Amino acid sequence: MESEVKTKDKKNKFEILDKSDDLYICSRCGTCLAYCPIYKQTLNESFSPRGKMSLLEAINKGKLKYTDKVSEKLFTCTTCNLCKEECPSGVKLDEMINIAKSDLIYAGKYPEVLDMLKKRIKQAYNITFDSNAGRLDWTKQLPESDPEKYIKKEADVVYFVGCVSSFSPRSFGIPRSIVQDLDSAKVSYTLLGEEEWCCGFPLISSGIKDVIGDLVKHNIEAVKSKNAKLLVLSCPSCYHTWKYEYNKYSGKEIDFEILHISQYLLRLIKEGKIKLNSLSGKVTYHDPCDLGRNSGIYEEPREVIKSIPGLDFIDLPSNRELSNCCGGGGNLESINQTLASKIALAKADEIIETKADIVITSCQQCNRTIDSSLKKKKKETGTKVKVMDLPELVLQSIQEQKAEN
Amino acid sequence: MVEMNKILDINPVDLLVTVEAGVITESVSKAVEHLNLFFPPDPGSMKSSTIGGNIAENAGGLRGLKYGVTKDYVNSIEIVLPTGEIVNMGSNTVKAVTGYNFVDLICGSEGTLGVITKATLGLLPIPADRASILSFFKDMTDAAKTVIDIVAQGVITATLEIVDKVTINAIEDFLKIGLDRTVGAMLLIEVDGQKGATEIEADIVLKVCKSNNALSVRKAKNSQERDKLWEARRAALSSLSRIKPSTILEDATVQRSRIVELVEAVDGIAQKYNIMIGTFGHAGDGNLHPTILTDLRIPEEAEKTEKAIEEIFKATIALGGTLSGEHGIGITKAQYLKLELSKPVYDLMEKVKNAFDPNNILNPGKMKCVWNS
Repeated sequence: MESEVKTKDKKNKFEILDKSDDLYICSRCGTCLAYCPIYKQTLNESFSPRGKMSLLEAINKGKLKYTDKVSEKLFTCTTCNLCKEECPSGVKLDEMINIAKSDLIYAGKYPEVLDMLKKRIKQAYNITFDSNAGRLDWTKQLPESDPEKYIKKEADVVYFVGCVSSFSPRSFGIPRSIVQDLDSAKVSYTLLGEEEWCCGFPLISSGIKDVIGDLVKHNIEAVKSKNAKLLVLSCPSCYHTWKYEYNKYSGKEIDFEILHISQYLLRLIKEGKIKLNSLSGKVTYHDPCDLGRNSGIYEEPREVIKSIPGLDFIDLPSNRELSNCCGGGGNLESINQTLASKIALAKADEIIETKADIVITSCQQCNRTIDSSLKKKKKETGTKVKVMDLPELVLQSIQEQKAEN
Repeated sequence: MVEMNKILDINPVDLLVTVEAGVITESVSKAVEHLNLFFPPDPGSMKSSTIGGNIAENAGGLRGLKYGVTKDYVNSIEIVLPTGEIVNMGSNTVKAVTGYNFVDLICGSEGTLGVITKATLGLLPIPADRASILSFFKDMTDAAKTVIDIVAQGVITATLEIVDKVTINAIEDFLKIGLDRTVGAMLLIEVDGQKGATEIEADIVLKVCKSNNALSVRKAKNSQERDKLWEARRAALSSLSRIKPSTILEDATVQRSRIVELVEAVDGIAQKYNIMIGTFGHAGDGNLHPTILTDLRIPEEAEKTEKAIEEIFKATIALGGTLSGEHGIGITKAQYLKLELSKPVYDLMEKVKNAFDPNNILNPGKMKCVWNS
């Protein structure tokens, strides 16, 4: 395939040659080995965070070139950022790895799958092979299935669904629950339909930076055209990108509020607009990396769960800042499915250990990987744990009232 | 080796645990915690270091003064010799004097004599009670004198850590836990043992601090405060490493009675070369970690650093100390071996190496010094 992702603007040299402070600050102490999900499954130092820093230092010093092998090591990362969280020396591992990915793209050494990804996003504005006109297909099975209902000219709130929830049938439950949650709270909201374009996260996190500008510009305009005061997102990666990257790429401050659905649900609950009714069972919560560690949202999802009467909440052994990745991050699944699956199974073990009946997460990607790994565990051991996304749990609690009435 | 990570046997009657060499240090203590036992050597890297590596390095930790180092807890080992034989060395009895003490030879041999594959390690009961004390001083000299006096008063503390002004400020920049930036030194002390005994010992420590002109001294009120203090100590190196791109951690060790002189010598060297040195360490063991903060990418800085390091080594040896208390010699310190070892002793080391590894295939070059002067 012709190279899609290699940028045309010729850089003078690789960025890693200019940014070596963190490579030196990294003392190779090995703390990251105790946390990196890739290392814990492979036990291979060259895939570990400190191994990656050693490779990059060698490149910085001119002792090593960006080769296919180096590329494999750098791209084998879930971008969960637990290494950065725990690094005693404060090494900005995420930045260094992203710089290296950008360099590798320029060097033409990157996983082939990225060519396809960029092509799809450039042509169809989403990460799938489907036309962007299919953005609302998931609404068809809703009680009110008229897609027109969900596209208003103006509204207080815009709900940005995200590519995975829009196009992957396994995730349709999430946006379907969200619109029903919002309906129950009588919120004036709209979706963007085919005017919703990929947020750009899959490109940014892969070091591809040349398409992102158009996506950012279009998406900001699309939200503004609705005169919305608030943008709500359910995908933590979309949320993170909107909240922390869009300002950088658009060059100006965004003047509407941006909330993750967990934050917005909590607000609606506190304002009394969502009425929650008693459910039962033991519930635990998985912190998605892009929502927790990478965006600092830990308490809102827990508060939402705890506002539902009758549930018995228990945290996972590793929670909040220390939450273990589900294996679904950083394109790892398309690069090394076996490894991603091993990480997911380790996560499943941790969930099963809590003896919870339900594990809640707040990310369509985590939801899917955790669901798959728990199903494998069920076959092996018979343990049954249900996976639900936070808005699905909230909807169940809302509808419980209807059943009682 | 990291895949050999099984705990093979726990024997609470004999206070022993048998592990494969790739077991992570911290997981040994975790595996026996439910039996109220622990594995005392606790190097800073215990979350990621392996037992095999700890034995090969004879790793220390914060509790060395009272509990010793790794070699004090290795009863027996299985090693693969470089000539191919798989052998067991040592004994799981409390005492054993049968033949040479090969286990102690392997401990700290830095992988030059054999590949450790299995080890039977000693355990101890977890102390019933602990008390932590924090004391500030106007300078490192007062703090170092206090260290000497505490032990002289008959108190063998579990930990007795010193932290200098540069390091206090680095920790405070990083953790923001309210340490006094104006003081010249701080001591962090922990006593452990039976309830009652720890109170008596803590009182003695408090008195000794005061009689050595401590600016302030106090006992941690509860376990949260205690954890915070130790978090501060554990953050020492990492906080320093945030200041400059290169962090050179040294490991100079003297007898406890000479610690004041070592502190003053390091201070003099920092001034002479106009380099930034943060010093902290296991003062109770006479083991300091003077940490040079620099940027080795700048040739003049690299040159100054090399000279300063050599002077620290020479000063340490002049005080009757040793090049390395717990970090080892490896390659970077190998050239300094001749400062400490006599020629006949070094020759003997070479003969031992040759007896184990006639083909010189294990870590060639480690602890190898060119003896031309």
